[in-house]
Amino acid sequence: MFDLSSRQAKIVFFAALAAIGFFLFFPLYWLVISSLKANAELYRVVPTPFPTMPSLEHFIRALTAGKLPMYLMNSLITSTCSAALVTLLALYAGFSFAKYRYFGRQPVMLFMLSAQMFPFGLLLISIYPLMSELNLLDTRPGLILSYIVFALPVSTYMLYSYFSQVPDELIDAARADGASDLRIFHTIVIPISIPPIVTVFLYSFMWSWNDLLYSMTLIVSDEKRTIGPGLLLTYLNEVNSDWGGAMAASLIASAPIVVAFMFLQRYFIQGVTAGAVK
Amino acid sequence: MAVIENNTLAYPVSPHANRGGLKAGQNRIGLLLLLPAAVAFAAVILYPFLSALGLSLFEYTVEMMEPRFIGFENFVKIASDPDVWAAFWTTAIYVALTTTGTLVAGLGWALIMNQPFAGRAVLRSLSLLPWVLPSTVSAFIWGWVFNSRYGVLNAFLMELGLIDYPQAWLSTPEGAMLAVVLTKIWLSIPLFMSFFLAGLQNLDKEQIDAARVDGAGNWAVLRDHILPHLRPVLMIVVVLGVIGNLQQFDTIYALTGGGPVRATTVLSVEVYRRAFEQWDIGFASAVGVLWVAALLPPAFLYLRMLVKGN
Repeated sequence: MFDLSSRQAKIVFFAALAAIGFFLFFPLYWLVISSLKANAELYRVVPTPFPTMPSLEHFIRALTAGKLPMYLMNSLITSTCSAALVTLLALYAGFSFAKYRYFGRQPVMLFMLSAQMFPFGLLLISIYPLMSELNLLDTRPGLILSYIVFALPVSTYMLYSYFSQVPDELIDAARADGASDLRIFHTIVIPISIPPIVTVFLYSFMWSWNDLLYSMTLIVSDEKRTIGPGLLLTYLNEVNSDWGGAMAASLIASAPIVVAFMFLQRYFIQGVTAGAVK
Repeated sequence: MAVIENNTLAYPVSPHANRGGLKAGQNRIGLLLLLPAAVAFAAVILYPFLSALGLSLFEYTVEMMEPRFIGFENFVKIASDPDVWAAFWTTAIYVALTTTGTLVAGLGWALIMNQPFAGRAVLRSLSLLPWVLPSTVSAFIWGWVFNSRYGVLNAFLMELGLIDYPQAWLSTPEGAMLAVVLTKIWLSIPLFMSFFLAGLQNLDKEQIDAARVDGAGNWAVLRDHILPHLRPVLMIVVVLGVIGNLQQFDTIYALTGGGPVRATTVLSVEVYRRAFEQWDIGFASAVGVLWVAALLPPAFLYLRMLVKGN
């Protein structure tokens, strides 16, 4: 796009690259480096740029001494369930919006999408008494249901955008052969829609995995706590700040989502940008 | 909006796809398919939303068994509550700084990532990382960078001779605001970059080549061709950015808890504290209603763009 043959252009380009790149990547570098430093090296006023004696002590402690494995397991359970639930709901709703023409379709869809803009914190004010009424406060099902708030609107829209591009002829042909709509959807449409379905699953999984607000409010007992509040309570409470442990635990908690994302990023970005821009 | 059209076509479907929908007569099935999502939506999004709007007209605190209707009294109380006003002001500063910062850095980074050079693909993938990290993790990372005693920021600035002794960043109002703003900018660059890169994909390269033949330099190409082309994406990104930043809670709460004192208490933190620390549900809902009011203009713009795009 830019012509970088002149020296001046090169300097400006690489200076900008270095500046923004440093801002983006240095904190990540520092996270990794700090997690590998033993406490004696970590708590120094003039920090070393990389660990002189790399040590896995923080990782070992995080995985054996604390409750991190339990928090991880809790997050895995709630995030997987809520992602599956959201994906399932969004699948049928997205297909319905894309391929049927009933009265009120467009307004209903826009309204659902605009709900993404209702502040999550405000919804929580009434979700809390609702869950309390249903005896779902401090339970996994309660948290899983509440997580629908985060991802359902955008997920539905992402799948709607995709299904809109599936040719009607494909469905009409199958219908002419006598297949029912549900059967067509399950045996013809879903198999060609795996990438967007996986994207939506990952999108909603990410919202729940990364959540702090809902989990810290709706879950009280430690044995059901997820990683967001779990990390906060373990490593940065009033009494002690265990930064080495916090860094190691952060890396462990981020690993699953980062790995999944790296494999699926292409679809993911297509889904998110298309869903919001189109 | 046509900008991103190519992207969805990258999925394995026919380019002749018809968006007209199926023939009438199957509408009942369509509504049936929508039903589960509609029920879930009504239960956990719509009902709580309306209920919170309603609660703003009630007095409802932790000592009370039942909410008591008081009309607009909560709003009258808000009008004379300097803390709520301060939260609005803090939110305005936070949203303005984060949105502008991310816009500049995200656009800059997208333009850089659009330029072919060795190692670009890897760099592009890696620059998405801040986006997917749990919010507590982002808060930890920046809390450690800004740490008053062992933080790398202090070490850097002292090395450069910009400060003489370590600063307790998170204990001063300006320092804490800087920390929460930088954290949010850092978090949002990937998303902004993705939007801009998607917009840059269908930039007319021949037009730029032609301009170059006519002697246009890099700056002229950016100003006359690239930026005008990105205008629709820019609008979307700004609106989505404002909406997201108005709602930000997790990283602020984890990093500063809204402090020191109330220096980083934005509306989301204010509502949370009133509701779940002071258990003044009615008052919290009333503040929430005003928060929604602040969200309405950008939300309206966003919806209008969507309708036009459809």
